[in-house]
Amino acid sequence: MAAVLGVSAQYHDAAAALVVDGRVVAAVQEERLTRRKGDPSLPREAMRACLRLGGIEAGALDRVVFYENPYAKLERVVNGALRAFPTAIGLFPRAVGSQLGGKIWVLDALAETLDVPRARVVPSEHHLTHAASAFYASPYPRAAVLTVDGAGEELSTAIWRGDEGGLALVEGIALPDSLGLLYAALTAWLGFEVNDGEYKVMGLAAFGQPRFRDELARVVRLDGDGGFSLDEKYFAHEHDAELGFSGELERLLGPRRAAGRAWDLDGSAEDRRYADVAASLQAALEEALVGLARRARARTGLDALCLAGGVALNCVAVSRVAREAGFERLFVQPAAGDAGGALGAALVGARDLGDPRPAPQTTTALGEPVDEAEAAELAAALGLRAAPSDDPDREIAARLARGEVVGVVRGRFEFGPRALGQRSLLALPRDAATRERLNRVVKRREPFRPFAPAVAAEATERLFEGGPPDDLTPFMTSVRPVRPEARARLAAVTHVDGTARLQTVGEGGALAGILAAVEREAGLPVVLNTSLNGAGEPIVGGALDALGFLLSHAVDAVVVESLVVTR
Amino acid sequence: MSRLVRRLGSRLRTVGELLAHAARRQKLFLIPLLLVLLAGAVLLLLSGGLSYVAPFVYTLF
Repeated sequence: MAAVLGVSAQYHDAAAALVVDGRVVAAVQEERLTRRKGDPSLPREAMRACLRLGGIEAGALDRVVFYENPYAKLERVVNGALRAFPTAIGLFPRAVGSQLGGKIWVLDALAETLDVPRARVVPSEHHLTHAASAFYASPYPRAAVLTVDGAGEELSTAIWRGDEGGLALVEGIALPDSLGLLYAALTAWLGFEVNDGEYKVMGLAAFGQPRFRDELARVVRLDGDGGFSLDEKYFAHEHDAELGFSGELERLLGPRRAAGRAWDLDGSAEDRRYADVAASLQAALEEALVGLARRARARTGLDALCLAGGVALNCVAVSRVAREAGFERLFVQPAAGDAGGALGAALVGARDLGDPRPAPQTTTALGEPVDEAEAAELAAALGLRAAPSDDPDREIAARLARGEVVGVVRGRFEFGPRALGQRSLLALPRDAATRERLNRVVKRREPFRPFAPAVAAEATERLFEGGPPDDLTPFMTSVRPVRPEARARLAAVTHVDGTARLQTVGEGGALAGILAAVEREAGLPVVLNTSLNGAGEPIVGGALDALGFLLSHAVDAVVVESLVVTR
Repeated sequence: MSRLVRRLGSRLRTVGELLAHAARRQKLFLIPLLLVLLAGAVLLLLSGGLSYVAPFVYTLF
């Protein structure tokens, strides 16, 4: 029985996770505590928070596991630079310098920060930790596991077999072939920020027609057997760190879109063309992912599939895999990006030390709890109106029924990019105008971005196609078509293609009480559920963040546990 | 003093693990190159050059 701390850091979305005696005790993204979105730095605050939540001192840790191998990473960077010589000469000193001058010493930095013996700090492997975060958290005793992201040490894609004996690599695809980098390069071409704008591309794709499929087929070639390769001439990863795509891509698809320019999908033929490219990219990604999943099924012969890696956050592609790849069950690690690597690293370490698998993951509420008393004190100090409610679920439902937008802050904050009821911004899902208000006024983001519904599990089939809740729907990792007859009542959460990224809420779920009260007030057990953060901000963590959000955004109330706070 | 010794031991362990990795991968020929680069990295650190961040530096390097 052991206490293992997993850590991810240095690239984007640093995190820590604590597993004690095979049980996931805590998992925290550094950004939630430092308030710097996607904070990649060594997660000092997150590590401390995990230890605090676990009630143990760092000295009691049996092992600290870093989510990737810095030596293998260095080897790949040096090999890549030599391979791309002389075009990479401009980037080479900085790329290798950032490795040798900082990243290579990360295990030392962890030992010194935690004040633990260096011998207890060990590296793992990037795609292994992704695979572990999905498989060991899944409800399946045996499963094929597919990990797909931008770049690990060498691999960008891997197929694993998970069973009682652990995880075994079946096969992998190495850089420079990478679906994550393909999507990132086109994200940059569309004028969005890499590592942040990929969701926007996915949302934008629904507004376009995939009429550039032939062009995309030249950029990413599918071999018909589940493999894929990129044509390197369209990319510039190895010699241009700013863009990731080359002039060849602009000759193929046209000039890049200027970053930051407002979108006008109704009035601008040019913007509609960009949406068509996004749709073509999305189609290419989906076909590649379905091919990989089918290959994973053929190579493992197993009926269940687990997914992780940043590409697994593409819920539209995941849904297509669920429909077409032939698996009976599918699970996506809710923190599928690099933050989840910390969880996987802790689970790999725990298994190595002989601990059992954890119970299947049922919640992402693995962060720090909110302090209602602190919220009351802050509200008084800030001159906000605050009153405890005897029945906060009913109070929230009544406000939503009046057309208000309400922030809900309850329990421990979520691990991963989705707010699932602990740090959520809620509204009624009925009116399309609500989506406009939230996008333009509250979240200040592109008008084409969709919002997701949270629905009581028992009402799922009445409102959405695709059958009853499954292993994906509790975590908002897939999309379902909204039943045509329900779309008018779910206008704010139905995307332009008629789908919604739904979250099903079972008995005892964080939003169950609110959904029951909303059904009594408004007739449907559904709310619009979006994350409690504004543009460029991490999701709210503690009471101070929650009240800060209320003060700086056009929402009507924030409810911290049972405390209703208004201006 | 003991803290300094511990830190030094920690760094030596990392260098040892790096060499072991290179040996395991049969890439010992990279060691002289890495030593030269390590010296360059120190210069970069001293000149503040590592503050440079770009999207694909984040992703790849």
